[in-house]
Amino acid sequence: MINSPNEDWFAPLPPCEAQVPCGEGRHVVRWEAGAFRLASHADPEAELVLAALGGDKPRCVDLAEAWGRHAADLTVLSVGPRGPDDPVPVGWDDVDAAAQAAQPGQWGWQAYRPHSTPMRLASPPTAAIARAAARHAQFEREAEQASQRKIDILSLLALGHAFQVRLTGHVVAAYAGRLDQPDEHGRNVRSVLTAALLGRLAPVAEQWIGIDQDQVVVALHDGPGWGSAELTGRGAQRRLRVSLPAWWLARVWACGLALTGRHLVVATERAGWPDARVLALRAPGAEPVSLEAHASTGPHGVGSPSTHDGPNWEI
Amino acid sequence: MDREGAETYLRLLAEAAMRGSLAPAPGAPWGSGTGREPAMITVGRALAAVGAVDVATVEKIMTDFDLAVRVRQFGQGHAGTAAWVVQAHSARYVGLAPVGLPARAGPGPLEPSEPAGDEEEDDRFVPVGLTVPFRIGAISGELCLMSFAHTGTGARFIAAWDIRTPQLQTRLGAESSGLIPFEDFTVTDDRGARYQLDAKPGDDPQWSTEIIVRPAPPRDIGWLDVAGPDHPAVRVGLGPGIAPTADGQPQASDVTLSPGEHLLVMLAERLLTTAPGPPGPPGRLRRRAAALPASLRAMVAGLGDVVRALEAADVLSPLSPVPARLATLCASLDLDGHGITVPPAAVLPEAWLSLLAHYQRRKPEPAPMRDGYAPLAVALPELDGIRLALLGLLHAEESSSLYVLARGPERDHRYGPLDIDLAFPLSAWLRDGGGRWHAARSDRWHRGGRENTIRLQLVPPLTRPTARAEIIIGGQSAEVRTTVPLRWEYPS
Repeated sequence: MINSPNEDWFAPLPPCEAQVPCGEGRHVVRWEAGAFRLASHADPEAELVLAALGGDKPRCVDLAEAWGRHAADLTVLSVGPRGPDDPVPVGWDDVDAAAQAAQPGQWGWQAYRPHSTPMRLASPPTAAIARAAARHAQFEREAEQASQRKIDILSLLALGHAFQVRLTGHVVAAYAGRLDQPDEHGRNVRSVLTAALLGRLAPVAEQWIGIDQDQVVVALHDGPGWGSAELTGRGAQRRLRVSLPAWWLARVWACGLALTGRHLVVATERAGWPDARVLALRAPGAEPVSLEAHASTGPHGVGSPSTHDGPNWEI
Repeated sequence: MDREGAETYLRLLAEAAMRGSLAPAPGAPWGSGTGREPAMITVGRALAAVGAVDVATVEKIMTDFDLAVRVRQFGQGHAGTAAWVVQAHSARYVGLAPVGLPARAGPGPLEPSEPAGDEEEDDRFVPVGLTVPFRIGAISGELCLMSFAHTGTGARFIAAWDIRTPQLQTRLGAESSGLIPFEDFTVTDDRGARYQLDAKPGDDPQWSTEIIVRPAPPRDIGWLDVAGPDHPAVRVGLGPGIAPTADGQPQASDVTLSPGEHLLVMLAERLLTTAPGPPGPPGRLRRRAAALPASLRAMVAGLGDVVRALEAADVLSPLSPVPARLATLCASLDLDGHGITVPPAAVLPEAWLSLLAHYQRRKPEPAPMRDGYAPLAVALPELDGIRLALLGLLHAEESSSLYVLARGPERDHRYGPLDIDLAFPLSAWLRDGGGRWHAARSDRWHRGGRENTIRLQLVPPLTRPTARAEIIIGGQSAEVRTTVPLRWEYPS
């Protein structure tokens, strides 16, 4: 069985944790079995109610909300890591600096805001002025929403590599079953996922058979089976042409299985942690073989706050 | 048209560029206009220009890509990265402004003085070719009326002028209209009705070319007497005058360019007409190529990607001969690194060759042509939804311009790849009496919503007052040719 729809894509992923500056201290947030949890907050819902009543919202709660907002945001695929060799080194100081820069008054165009003291006008404002003011207000709202969105993404990236790849998996899972519908921003989902596949498969292919990443050509595979992988041409015309389903990004790549025991894993037959059975290619054009894979934790161990390594899978 | 193919191509290009950004020692900081960014902007603008992706999508892709590169620069000592990440706005990529220039600001389209409508049958274009002198106090000058145009948005002269004051002496052109004492002009028609003249305000305060006649006169008057202060009236005949064309009606013929081919032709003409600097003797090609703005040279590096993107969008056939011609043109202009992989073409269009020959000339031009103007009034058949009227030729300060009135759907003033003007998506050429070709490139606009007066700068400028000219305007679906007699007038 390949990519059973009844199996959670994240079944081969262990839990992970990160420490977050929250209030006066550092709190632990945790991802486990597909859920984002606030380990240091006993009752996040109650804290949300307090925040709605005017109290401060803890950063951990902010993060949980941001995770929910962006678990189906295709921008994550553009921004997130392409692999272990592509660190996205956002720190909490960076997030704070970005938030500070987004404060009112930091924007160049806000220097042109009307004077706070009403000015005496020689004639009443015209309709044109009113339209211009409405356009300005609209621009201001959109700019604030855009900056908030970026701060959200920076915060999620600051959680570290383990969270970054898991978030990537969630986003892929949100769209892999509906490739032909645009997302809420009008983006063509198939286009985004094709690019996401190329960005993440190309470094794997380079490690697998030593091919230049620019010589990798990908397509999204539809229909039965795992897809295809073939090597064509010679020299500068050499191309590795790979067709894989969008789910590969979540079930295989995000779970750290892409290159296991010098094989390109193309599908999981039985997902699980720390043991899984995968379908893998030894070489382009070869028939895939079914292999048992076993995971060990990285040098920092699962749950370590500085975990950047995914599970280390071996045949 | 394959919109998904177009968007996918652009996203894959971004991925390839991301790999470049991941290389050690990236050099210049992101956003400096170096590396793959200009090529991506070029491709994005090209795909938006042919309608394969919308501008908002291109901007989203560029914004996401930009964010992806920026977040990888955290911790690398790039000061202000965090602030940039939240404050950057994507409009700088594909929006209104050409690369290196701010978006034009100013008031929107003017309210029409008459209801705009489909009044083509009543439109009236008359060649004038008369000079109206004026003097009031220390200000004097001449108003050179090239043509009269009366359309749904009103009546006006297309004009140029020179002005003399104790501190200022302008040459024939369309600047400093505020110094002309229009309130002291008198205008009377053949029935005794009186009118006023005024410079039509546009969004470019430095440039105006339309002199409005208020109120709009009846369409069947025979003449207008126009008198500048301290001078007798000059009678402007509005009846049948000189023949507008030498060969009867303008000839329209179908062409079969795909959207991608039409865009590539416009890009080629952009390269051919990019001025190397102030007017002067033509230089050698190498010097000309070196004089291209750095931003344009960087975008030329994206031409191969543009060709492949247009093919991915299914708006350019892999068998099209146009990419090969573009490759030959780049080689002829000493523009290397264009990335077009098809073999160069052996043959180029005659007009392109004429321009290339001009740039390769080493002999200086003879004595410069005297400042002057030639009236024109030729309405052309509709091309790609645009109705053009040719309204005058002006030569001043060693620069030549063709004035046209463009009417059609209101278009966003957007720029395409290599900063081509997408609001004027036509190819325009003039062949002078000596057989030399001059490309006409959109240069200045007097915007009026659905009606816009445009100055098309001729490259190269005229070198002698040719007695006739063949004018060719090419669109994607058709081409119009007309031959016009030219009667040159010279201010004193």
